[in-house]
Amino acid sequence: MTDITVKVNGAPRTASAEARRTLADFLRDDLDLTGTHVGCEHGVCGACTVIVDGRPVRSCLMLAVQAAGHEVTTIEGLAPDGALGPLQQAMRDSHSFQCGFCTPGFVMQATAFLGAHPNAGEQEIREALSGNICRCTGYQSIIDGVLLAAQRSKANVGSDR
Amino acid sequence: MTQTAAQRYTGASVKRSEDLRILAGAGRYVDDIKLPGMLHAAFVRSPLPHGRVLAVDASAARALPGVVAVLTGADLDEMTVRGPDPLLALMGGGGPTAEYSLLATDTVRLVGDPVAVVIAESRYLAEDGGELVEVDYADLPAVASATAALDVGSTPVFANLGNNIIGPHKRSEFGDVAGTFAAADRIAEFHLDVHRHQNVPMEGRGCVASYDADSGLLTMYAATQSVHITRMGVAACLGVDPERVRVLAGDIGGSFGLKIGASREELAVAAASRALGRPVKWVEDRSENLTVSGQAREESFDVRAAVSDQGDLLGLDVSMVIDTGAYPVMGTMVPSIIEAMLPGPYKLAALGFESTAVVTNKASYIAYRGPWASETFVRERVLDLLAKELGLDPFEIRLRNVAPRTSPPAMMITGRPLSGVTTRESLGRLTQVVDVPVFRRRQAAERARGRYLGIGVATFIEAAPGPRGPEGSGGALGQESMRLRLAEDGIVMLFTGQMPHGQGHQTTLAQIAADEFGVPFEQVRVVIGDSDAVPFGLTGGSRSATMTGGVTLHGARQLKAKVLDVAALLFEASAADLEITDGQVVVRGDPDSAIGVAEVARQAASGRFGAEVDPTIEVEATFDGGEGGWSGGSHCAIVEVDVETGIVRVERYVAAEDCGALINPAVVEGQIRGGIAQGIGAVLLERSAYDQDGNYQSATFMDYLLPTATDIPRIEIEHLQTVPLDADVNFRGVGEGGMIVAPPTVVNAIEDALAPFGVRIYEQHLPPARILELIAHHGGDDVPTTWSS
Repeated sequence: MTDITVKVNGAPRTASAEARRTLADFLRDDLDLTGTHVGCEHGVCGACTVIVDGRPVRSCLMLAVQAAGHEVTTIEGLAPDGALGPLQQAMRDSHSFQCGFCTPGFVMQATAFLGAHPNAGEQEIREALSGNICRCTGYQSIIDGVLLAAQRSKANVGSDR
Repeated sequence: MTQTAAQRYTGASVKRSEDLRILAGAGRYVDDIKLPGMLHAAFVRSPLPHGRVLAVDASAARALPGVVAVLTGADLDEMTVRGPDPLLALMGGGGPTAEYSLLATDTVRLVGDPVAVVIAESRYLAEDGGELVEVDYADLPAVASATAALDVGSTPVFANLGNNIIGPHKRSEFGDVAGTFAAADRIAEFHLDVHRHQNVPMEGRGCVASYDADSGLLTMYAATQSVHITRMGVAACLGVDPERVRVLAGDIGGSFGLKIGASREELAVAAASRALGRPVKWVEDRSENLTVSGQAREESFDVRAAVSDQGDLLGLDVSMVIDTGAYPVMGTMVPSIIEAMLPGPYKLAALGFESTAVVTNKASYIAYRGPWASETFVRERVLDLLAKELGLDPFEIRLRNVAPRTSPPAMMITGRPLSGVTTRESLGRLTQVVDVPVFRRRQAAERARGRYLGIGVATFIEAAPGPRGPEGSGGALGQESMRLRLAEDGIVMLFTGQMPHGQGHQTTLAQIAADEFGVPFEQVRVVIGDSDAVPFGLTGGSRSATMTGGVTLHGARQLKAKVLDVAALLFEASAADLEITDGQVVVRGDPDSAIGVAEVARQAASGRFGAEVDPTIEVEATFDGGEGGWSGGSHCAIVEVDVETGIVRVERYVAAEDCGALINPAVVEGQIRGGIAQGIGAVLLERSAYDQDGNYQSATFMDYLLPTATDIPRIEIEHLQTVPLDADVNFRGVGEGGMIVAPPTVVNAIEDALAPFGVRIYEQHLPPARILELIAHHGGDDVPTTWSS
């Protein structure tokens, strides 16, 4: 067991972790951040996606000890007061999801992508999210939610000027 | 079409209340449950498809620090009562019953068959323990295909059956089959295959069982489509009264038919918790989910079609074999539904149907979204094959054969009335939205340039719930119940046995109740997921729109009447002169008279009215489905096949659907699109593959391929004006249709694209390698259609 400190959603968190413990299990079981979901444990489905140092990462393929000293954002960190952030709100307005199990992974992947590509169009968004699997929706409502968030973000930037 | 007293929410895309928690990462799924002292289970599973268990040595595992117990099949056999799957027990499949234990004792029957369960302080340690359990096996010959299972000399998967026929051959005839075939201009014969594929919800199965020795109560935190069916299964397995078991469920990460009742693993976890007196959690990993949770659809059909030279489909004679896998659950129930549904919306005058169900050394055949879907695949494929032979357009042959909507309604030859079916209208709508002549010109031009485009159409009807019969239209599960209460804080509480797992019932049922009762949407709370609190129910079979929507509407009406009776005493007025608007009881025409419904509830609870008034404002409502009705629609796909790579791209997809009155259009469209995506996946990507020795080949997401955002096009949806049949309730189910009709729609389009190569398609799974084979073989050479006249 190793004591590690990880900055999670802006606050340093220290806990003991076995070397083999995945970041996903560390977040869910040791830090009680159960918003991150585990869907395949082999890095294909994307449900466990979190943001590490600004980049989307599959937390089932990263060990907790590898995250020591790094900055991790989970879905709980997007809107800490329990409200919805702008992307989450746009996704609600678009009826993006059904069962909700893949949701945290899509939200985190889209958050990272929109942060780097605020002007992305539909096809770029589809490709950016094509590493995340949703079994309920056929994806269209998710894509629409991300597009709506991007449009609102641009409109807000415009109105600030 | 009036649905509710005030149509304020019903019919609008009200934003889902579920999304507030789901999008915030605050959903509560079964793997999020953490109880004090909770242990974790991992299963030791067979690497063999079929074998004898000679010895299980768990001593090293038991000695591992952190391992609390290792229970073998023999241990669990002593701790539990043997019985059939709870859904099978409820629905009944008929035929012989396979005898087996909860975990394997002497025989393993598929790769992944559980042999022992390790219970430890963490999942990591439980899996470590599993590595140390030594099992000696002796190979038995695997029964890896239905063909092998039909051989009476094949090794019996279940000794008590003596062979591998679980559903003995039986034949039914509707109409004059012999006469119809004798009089037909032509008879065509085909063999069609539907491949094995599976549900794959993003959350697999799982549970936390917590036994309290002092009270003798077992609490099961489950991921289930029905807390009550799970409770029945757990109680029967543990040999206790159902009142000793409480099943709780929260958010559920999809199911599509997988999570009904209680699986063998979940029952083993319940037994382990009782034995150890501690909570035990088991959540399957993806490999377990893909390998053993269950699979569906492996069926083959020998089809004879009697047709006229003008394109009338006069009769079908279909012989079906279904591979139910090991441990029969759903498979034996499917053929009778396929038989009943095969005529679809068409004027078919004669049907012969026979079926045989076999067991094999593969995962159990389970319910998967539209379990009887192959009837639509067979019928819609046959129509296209006939159209090609006769030189007819696929729309034209369908319109020619659709039964006209008459009064009284035309009857399916298998016995049900086609009340309110709008197939003709949905086909017509498709031709309005998709300009077929323009497409054909483009198709011809592109073919000249070496690009292969195709158009496909298919149509379906779904008994969701189906037309009214002698006992209502609620289907095998009968009527739907709901308890409704006006709480003293003015909240209208709906207690439903529905167990939504993505369908959004906490939103849609609240929409209906808010309108009918007369409160704001936010003032309705839908209570789910507690077997101690909710009536019996099941979310499945596309039942909930009609059955639960209907009981909500009628229940809210009853509850409102009860509130108005009490309010009449308060107002010293006649209840007939009162109404509820926006949560206020008012005397009609006198808005200043308003009293909040909460105040009415408090006054009733105060007991001031004595014995004549029930102090609890609560009603128990039931609904039998009313006049019921069919859901249905027609879909059209345009695809491009790259004949160099075999890759199929779905360029355009249009669905014209009639699911009655829409409760929440966004929710309806989500169901349609999701089903279509699964259907596209089933044709182009997904297959639960076994090798010829019964070894499973698709145990990871690198092998079992699911469609992603770049595989599914933007899907266009047209809602048809429905034919109302019932005075109040015309909502109909929409959960399964997309998955039922998308496979033939896409396959028909692919065949059309490959028409220049003479390709004829007799199967459903068309990955790139198979497309290239079909082109290379010029289609039907290996599985020809036989024509005779």
